[in-house]
Amino acid sequence: MLTAAAPPRAPAPSGDELLAQARVGSETAFAALVREHQAMVFGMACNFLHSRAQAEELAQDVFLALHQNLSRVESARHLVFWLRRVTSNRCIDAVRSAQRRREVPMDTVMDPEVAPHFGDPLLGDLLRSLVGALTPDARIVVTLRFQEDLDVSEIAAVVDMPVNTVKSHLRRSMEALRRKLADRGYL
Amino acid sequence: MNLEHELRRALTRTDPPAGFDDRVLSRIAAGETVVSLRPQPRWSRAALPLAASLMLAFGATYYMQQEHLRQEREARAHMEQAARDVVLALQIASKTVAAAQAKVEEMTRYEPTNDN
Repeated sequence: MLTAAAPPRAPAPSGDELLAQARVGSETAFAALVREHQAMVFGMACNFLHSRAQAEELAQDVFLALHQNLSRVESARHLVFWLRRVTSNRCIDAVRSAQRRREVPMDTVMDPEVAPHFGDPLLGDLLRSLVGALTPDARIVVTLRFQEDLDVSEIAAVVDMPVNTVKSHLRRSMEALRRKLADRGYL
Repeated sequence: MNLEHELRRALTRTDPPAGFDDRVLSRIAAGETVVSLRPQPRWSRAALPLAASLMLAFGATYYMQQEHLRQEREARAHMEQAARDVVLALQIASKTVAAAQAKVEEMTRYEPTNDN
């Protein structure tokens, strides 16, 4: 008796293939790209802005900008770089615009649902709050370092800063965080 | 406590609320666009401080130049005044000497000599 073998499942398209399909107008491919990278973009915005509503709006804007600029994105690797750069710029711009409008600073608006927590939730909340009190440039450097696990030269390329400036932001931010944690008895 | 380890745990990637991709696609379908943020070139960040520094330098140079000219004018006026004073003094001295000389000549002309 002949048994019909299950047809081999087509391998999932690679990032480069999805990008190529999205470039020629495939909505499905673009949606797949959004799903692939949404946690990175939304996470950066959340960790920077401390507001899920603002983070979602910003993340949507980033993907709209991606849709408008698909032709400029050269590869899947470049896409990740492009998304990190645009998200970083938009995060910094959002905070600076709010400061110019003299709104309530975003770093004081804490959203309790910002991120899933592991370990000590109080410490996690405290750390996010302390990171939120850093300057916008320092905050994005710390976010890229610890959320995206980028090294100093990669961060410098994403945010278009000299390597030494990135090192300086990181060093001073870590010193400030250690000092504030020590004040609260964590260190 | 390892701070770097704790930061990695606190700052994680986060999934957006369900339906995020659909909301993005519906905004695209509605023809929405966003304004591209053109990252400012690095030189432009220094443009304002540079312009302010140039203005300050120009202003300072102009002020110093004007001050130097004013001091030169004042010095020249002092020198001219001093020269005029010297000329006047010489004129006065000259008249005095001439008067004295005339007096002497007059005295020597009319004074009888012991020889006569």
